[in-house]
Amino acid sequence: MRTRRPTLSAAVLGTVLAVSACSGAPEPGSEGAAAPSAPDRSWDEVLAEADGQTVDLWMYGGDQQGNTYVDDVLAPAAAELGVTLRRVPVADTADALNRVLSELQAGEDDGSVDLVWVNGENFATGRQADAWLCDWTAQLPAMEFVDPEDPLLTSDFGTPVDGCEAPWHKAQFVLAYDSADVTDPPASMTELFDWIEANPGRFTYPAPPDFTGSAFLRQALYAVAGGPDEVPAEFDQAAFDEVAPQLFERLSGLAPSLWRAGETYPRDLAALEELYAGDQVDMTMTYGPATLAQQVASGALPESTRVLPLDGGTLGNASFLAVPANAGDQAGALVVADLALSPEQQLAKADPAAWGQYPVVDLDRVPADVRSAFEALPSSPAVPPFAELSRDADPELGAGWVAPLEDGWRTDVLGG
Amino acid sequence: MTRAAPAWRRAAVAPRVALALAWLAVPLVPLLLWAAADRWPFPAVLPTDWGLTGWRQAAGQGAGGALGRSVLLGLAVAALATPAGAMAGRALALHRVPARRLVEALLLAPVAVPPFAVVMGLTTLTLRAGVPGTVALVLVLSVSALPYTVFVMRSAYAGYDVGFEEEARTLGAGPRAVLLRVHLPLAAPALATAAFLAFLVGWSDYVVTLVVGGGQLVTLPMLVGALSSATGNDAVVAAVSLTAVVPPLLLLAATALLARRGAR
Repeated sequence: MRTRRPTLSAAVLGTVLAVSACSGAPEPGSEGAAAPSAPDRSWDEVLAEADGQTVDLWMYGGDQQGNTYVDDVLAPAAAELGVTLRRVPVADTADALNRVLSELQAGEDDGSVDLVWVNGENFATGRQADAWLCDWTAQLPAMEFVDPEDPLLTSDFGTPVDGCEAPWHKAQFVLAYDSADVTDPPASMTELFDWIEANPGRFTYPAPPDFTGSAFLRQALYAVAGGPDEVPAEFDQAAFDEVAPQLFERLSGLAPSLWRAGETYPRDLAALEELYAGDQVDMTMTYGPATLAQQVASGALPESTRVLPLDGGTLGNASFLAVPANAGDQAGALVVADLALSPEQQLAKADPAAWGQYPVVDLDRVPADVRSAFEALPSSPAVPPFAELSRDADPELGAGWVAPLEDGWRTDVLGG
Repeated sequence: MTRAAPAWRRAAVAPRVALALAWLAVPLVPLLLWAAADRWPFPAVLPTDWGLTGWRQAAGQGAGGALGRSVLLGLAVAALATPAGAMAGRALALHRVPARRLVEALLLAPVAVPPFAVVMGLTTLTLRAGVPGTVALVLVLSVSALPYTVFVMRSAYAGYDVGFEEEARTLGAGPRAVLLRVHLPLAAPALATAAFLAFLVGWSDYVVTLVVGGGQLVTLPMLVGALSSATGNDAVVAAVSLTAVVPPLLLLAATALLARRGAR
């Protein structure tokens, strides 16, 4: 579960960018000031250099299963390659980027951040500041297991990846319903809106800026606009002015049919799950379907819970491992990124008991035994396999869309 | 009449103490409950399942190591900021200081300029100066703690009778003996209070530890910050938070005891 906190760090970050722009440093993203790229060398040379290095992986630390997977599975595997993997938990990935930007500004080339779990806005900000090492993922032997044409892995919330980060996980947004109560489930977002009006009080969504509630806004935006092709990935005020009012009008119209007549919304996903578990509403939603499968298995959510298959697919995204341009243990960071991408590690963390993160490797490219192990992973009656879930996955909107949509929802839907 | 007033006052003390205790204890109640809850669904008044999941999770997330690192950081800050504060406080209280106003303003400035506002600049500065992250962290936090230690020690020295030291010297004690047998014992309660406050500055810091310290030291506040940024972590956050509350409470009790002994 990844949450975003609009914190001070964002403001601080802005200041740093402004300061570095004023201090005569090459204009970020300007022509000629190419992003720093990894030296050309053989993988054996990288492995030899990595031996004995300590890699500091800065990652969002709110996901206990993720922390445990890194400490108990990934780190021991890295140790076998002679690399010590140290996890630095942060409340917000922007904290890691702040440290990197400070170091770059000070001209520090033995940086303390070697690897960052990142996607979306933080990746885009880092690219603008030339903070990431680029053109290195092609060096990773494990990239042969990745589909080079996979749109989720070539563009990160609208920003081209360009070998500046190695894929780590995929995620899929899903809605789920209680099949004991809903016998004729809606088959598209538009049908869902009709269902809500026909069944007043049985649906609600977490109030944006909750991460899941915000994803629901984007999913609803695609439906109202007529599909992902109708909304440009890059934020654009004109496009926003055209599509967003329709979205807010539709959601305001739905509000009286929501739980508690839309006068209040669950404050976060956990609150929505409690309402769903307590049979106050008939549907829930999540960007982490593996968690859903676990909650059904543990009895926290009803056994009759099923993922709602939607025509036109749902939002999908990927998250990545990026190496700062000044990482002190760069070779070690590359070795860990390659290890994390290996079919064995992708399989280990796909196990719902370990972490339940969807693989970024293409199952048609991995060794046959790994593929069958993937297929043998415990399946859940509640959640279909990833291949089915991710069919027609909708690309995520650019990071620039998130805040305007959330602000608009607050004034036009919540306050309207 | 003369006896009635104290009796009336004594009667009013009990509710006041109760209020003060409630002020301290009430915020801890949900923490205590969550730390013993395996499951606490929304409308329920009390947890529905009791257990130690939160504590097991806290141990699994590295709370033990973080506790040790937080103690070390607090002690290091106290060890630097307390003597520095004592020297500055004594000078301000007992001696003529040139440009006194300016010196006082400078010593208090770190309180007026909160660390998070200047943390990026400080990071760049210490990196350029080539100071290792952990050393820079202790230095920056010690400067942040200085206003508190200076303030406490200055008040203490304002009520301090230098006559005792002079007396000892007349009786033949050397500077070392005066410091160890007269000055420090007399200043001990105030020193303990100042050290406690300085310890807290190191104990409770998040942003300087992370950004100036460069993530080298993973402390309790970093764990609390990271874990509490997600939903569903209430039990483990409660367990780690309680772990973070206990050492300061113990120190507070120790400081109070010392102050009492000093007063006697």
